[in-house]
Amino acid sequence: MTGIEALNVHCGYAYATVPELFRGRGLDPGRVENLMMTRRSIGLPCEDPVTNAVNAALPIVAALSDEERASIEVLVTSTESGVDLSKSVASYVHEYLGLSRNCRFFEVKQACYGATGAIQLAAGYLASGISPGAKALVIATDVAVVDEHAEYSEPAAGHGAAAVLVGDEGTILEFDLGAFGNYSYETLDSARPEPTFDIADVDRSLFAYLDCFSNSVADYRSKVDGADFMTTFDHLVMHTPFAGLVKAGHRKLLREHGVRGPGEVAADFERRVAPSLVYPSVVGNLCSGSVYLALASLIDSAPLTEPVRVGLFSYGSGCSSEFFSGITGPAAKDKLATMGIGERLAKRVEIDFDQYLAALAVNKQCLVPVPDRDIDPAGYAPILDRVPDRKEQLLFTGVREYHRQYAWG
Amino acid sequence: MTSTQSTHSEVFTVVREVVSDILPEVTDIPGHKHLKDLGADSVDRVEIILALMDHFGVQAPMSDFSAVPDVDRLVAFLAERSTR
Repeated sequence: MTGIEALNVHCGYAYATVPELFRGRGLDPGRVENLMMTRRSIGLPCEDPVTNAVNAALPIVAALSDEERASIEVLVTSTESGVDLSKSVASYVHEYLGLSRNCRFFEVKQACYGATGAIQLAAGYLASGISPGAKALVIATDVAVVDEHAEYSEPAAGHGAAAVLVGDEGTILEFDLGAFGNYSYETLDSARPEPTFDIADVDRSLFAYLDCFSNSVADYRSKVDGADFMTTFDHLVMHTPFAGLVKAGHRKLLREHGVRGPGEVAADFERRVAPSLVYPSVVGNLCSGSVYLALASLIDSAPLTEPVRVGLFSYGSGCSSEFFSGITGPAAKDKLATMGIGERLAKRVEIDFDQYLAALAVNKQCLVPVPDRDIDPAGYAPILDRVPDRKEQLLFTGVREYHRQYAWG
Repeated sequence: MTSTQSTHSEVFTVVREVVSDILPEVTDIPGHKHLKDLGADSVDRVEIILALMDHFGVQAPMSDFSAVPDVDRLVAFLAERSTR
């Protein structure tokens, strides 16, 4: 059945602790707890949306036979902002993944929702049967360009990519085709008006996220006979800008479904939601890859001794959202374990606030279109070389006549 | 008791219920305090406002609520705009 055949995330090589970022920015340490995060992935200047996408997808593609690789006939990248106003991130990713030239590729953008929109359209396309045996590779990829102006959002920003291979063997997540609910409208809750900074209206963003969660679930229930938020879904996986908001969203939905006691709410949260927050709490907001990082967290962290139904909520500022569902289970756990996501996250190298500031100063220029630019990965060898057992991966080396340059290293 | 006073009283009862759901540790809700003073962080405040808007059928931008200085003025704001 149509679903997610393979899943992987790449969340960079470095991290800073959230208390260190609070200390460095002089933020109120009493609010660390609200984020429910301990670490945040930090990008190095030799990484960009292309390298993150390729490095997330490479283990998936490498595990395919030549015939399976050739059956990837759709490649979509999803970003908060591309690296060029016309040329897609996908065009570079297609080259460095060595995919077939008989593959269509393009890029989508709708803040943190984009990848889910692409995955849902791909699932419908594949399930239609017009191209039997075909697969679609959707990669959500981003870098963080926020600085102190983002205040408490800065320590929650993430870095990296999630690669999702959709096909007719949904080992990771078999979609409940036709079971979905949407809620979308125009609002300016956050945006990236320039390639060097994001803007955010915190109250409006929190409002839109919670509003969309309730209403997308309501739309799902209107389409799926007998669906019940409390009993239909064994687990919940949600877009996680920070876990405190996920907790509030869960509490809101439970209250709307008549569950009000704090003990009952907390127990349901621990059972159905908490396993999905293990990875987000040490990575940060992975933008449109966030919900798929949370799915990986659930599969790696929950027992999953039998098939279970998962409800997934995807939200992107602006705003568009979707609640959908699928089945995961022991086979997903076995397959995802081969990616070693938890081990790779643990191997990231800790950097301090001054090292973070030095990287951020260069990272803020990452998305700015310029004709020529040099990035020497050797300058980051002191960090890269400390990552235990690091395999050769794609690194960003600069720009020549607007053409981005990469090397394996 | 006038109908307006009655409405304010009913609204305050609902505000107290919603705040208790979201901030179970809060037992006293003085009218002159802001939700922040009761220990509500930004996520809690938005959740409280959303629950109250839903209960009273109020349609208003979040920025209108940001300007409300305390619980008494929040009650009055909701009572004026309630459609239920």
